[in-house]
Amino acid sequence: MRRGHHRDGGESHPPRLRPPEHRVSRRAIAHWAIEYLLLWGLAFGLAVGVAAWVGDSGWSGMPGWLAGRIGWLPYVVGAAGLLMVTVAPVWRYRVHRWEVSADVVYTRTGWFSREWLLVPVGRIQTVDTEQGWIERMLGLATIEVNTASHVGSSEVSGLPVDVATRLAEDLAHRAHDLRDDAT
Amino acid sequence: MNLRDDGPAGEPAAHPHRTVEPSSNGRPDAGHHPAPNGNGTSLPDAGDEQRLHPLTFVVGAVRELIALVAAAATGLLVGGLSTAFYFALTGLAVGLLFHVASWATFTYVLYGDRIEFRRALIGRSVKSIPRDRIRGVDITASLPHRLLGLAVVHIDAGADGGEGSLNAVSRNEADRLRGVLLARDAPAPPRRVLARMRRRWYVYAPLSGAYLLTPFALAGSLLGTAYNLGDDLGLITRERVENLGHDVVGLPTALVVALTILVLIAMPVMSVIVFTLFNWDFTVHERDGSVVAERGLVTRRSVSLERRRLRGVELADNPFERAAGVTRLGALITGLGDAAHRGRLLPAAPRAVAETLAARVVGDVPGPLVAHPPAARGRRLIRAVAPPVGVAVLALLAGQPWVASLCGILAVLAVPLGLDRYRQLGHATDGARLSVRSGSLRRRQVVVEHGALVGWRIRRTLFQRRLGLATLFAAVGAGDGGYAATDMAEEDAVALAAAISPAWVTPFLEVPPEPGR
Repeated sequence: MRRGHHRDGGESHPPRLRPPEHRVSRRAIAHWAIEYLLLWGLAFGLAVGVAAWVGDSGWSGMPGWLAGRIGWLPYVVGAAGLLMVTVAPVWRYRVHRWEVSADVVYTRTGWFSREWLLVPVGRIQTVDTEQGWIERMLGLATIEVNTASHVGSSEVSGLPVDVATRLAEDLAHRAHDLRDDAT
Repeated sequence: MNLRDDGPAGEPAAHPHRTVEPSSNGRPDAGHHPAPNGNGTSLPDAGDEQRLHPLTFVVGAVRELIALVAAAATGLLVGGLSTAFYFALTGLAVGLLFHVASWATFTYVLYGDRIEFRRALIGRSVKSIPRDRIRGVDITASLPHRLLGLAVVHIDAGADGGEGSLNAVSRNEADRLRGVLLARDAPAPPRRVLARMRRRWYVYAPLSGAYLLTPFALAGSLLGTAYNLGDDLGLITRERVENLGHDVVGLPTALVVALTILVLIAMPVMSVIVFTLFNWDFTVHERDGSVVAERGLVTRRSVSLERRRLRGVELADNPFERAAGVTRLGALITGLGDAAHRGRLLPAAPRAVAETLAARVVGDVPGPLVAHPPAARGRRLIRAVAPPVGVAVLALLAGQPWVASLCGILAVLAVPLGLDRYRQLGHATDGARLSVRSGSLRRRQVVVEHGALVGWRIRRTLFQRRLGLATLFAAVGAGDGGYAATDMAEEDAVALAAAISPAWVTPFLEVPPEPGR
């Protein structure tokens, strides 16, 4: 069933998408690392608090094997956080790519699971650029391409500010010229 | 008893039939008077203030009237000329006054380019809906409305135009407004019935869970109303509630069993009755470039769906309906709020009828569906079985063998569910429309015009990558926003997207190692 239908039209090679042409800025690694650090730092703090509280209160609502090992919780959370902070940003950097051809915005995002997104410029309704405080610190920006459908809306983060601004303007112009948003 | 008898078919002159043309996007500019209809009924001069029908406040007050009269009567019976009675009378008077005042202060004005609603009761407000944004005009008439020859007109103008309703105008005015507001620039052919519900389809009602449960919902809300009313009047005291509780507990077992059986028998019967109330004489017809669905016994409801915004359909069913060969048909409309209710095209109909209507509305349903690779079966199975197994393991660890065994049973039941979910996966395209299907307990097959697609999204999780699978999402500016072909073979996903929109996808395909075959 896998290859057995007419749609392939007798092509001899299976069609595959090539990766988009451009990488995001290297500083994006720092951006994601800081984000993960803040998030997992908070989680670690909470874990320490929970472990201390459960240890003190002698709460008997959980099975004994778990209560005896509650002190491990902060270590588990800490290890997971460390892994996330060191591995995930680099992994994401290797996956995140973008490209704008004559009439299509093509992006690849994610790390653990990946998403390829193809949005024709003519279907774009709005183009936004955004900068969070970490991004402002690092001179980065996020560009959001919105269509009539949230499934067909994409977000490229980690672009240098000037690239993002130029791209957003360019896309907005072309989207206006080609506009046919299928609504 | 239904709208069509006194409706447009009876007096065509009052209803300017128009079609939508693609070019009608460019509506007449501000200040431009719509052309006279050329069939006798002319539009009011732009700027003419119009009021709602004078009988409106009667209908408006009817609900309060009934409730308050009932309350006053009860109060009179229980406590004589008590405070509660005067209270109810005052409430009645104030309510009536309010309705008269809001009738007197509300006007609507139809201009060449927009319709304005003006309210001047407390502060002034003017709401204006541009006529070229209007996507649908619904006409609803509840029983009191119908007795007085009135109807409620609801105007929907999508996300950027807002919505407004006229509660209520005369039947003729409602039809005239719909004609004028949806009118475009060319005379339309007379309306054509696309599908009509048959008598015996009403027995399909118990197949869908929702209608089986509606009697309970109704009983619940009735009990709630009775309780609140009684509570307000001081009829409900702690002792009475406790006594009732004791009485219920003290009932003999046989009676309880008999009552349960009675309820079980009543459920399907009630569901058919409720279904009939909502969907009586469900008729879909075509007019003014819109697809109009009319339904309802007591409250007759009519929803117009503009044809050029109708970009696809959805066929939904559950296992019982599948066994009976029944399906529900809904429309995918761009920019329609509450699409689940308003986009309904057939409540429950034999599959062949639903597919015929689908073909008339958007075009043939592509088929047969291409099954997804066997590797997807394992994923569906694991996804169905894993949650109950996970809970079972946790329950075992927590020392809850009962919960664990219950989850174990659920996990076993989940196996056929997972297998069926795999069986239902499929996709197809016929060069103009894409169709994807998924789900088991609530199976949905969606048909979308290629022209309605706004993008492609391909998702591959780590697990999917190992199995060579990918999920292809077709982004659509209607309905849920996107529809997934779950767990396709990776290259099939790309090939399908490339086949449907070569211009978007082919520039990004890997160049084959050796050109030419």
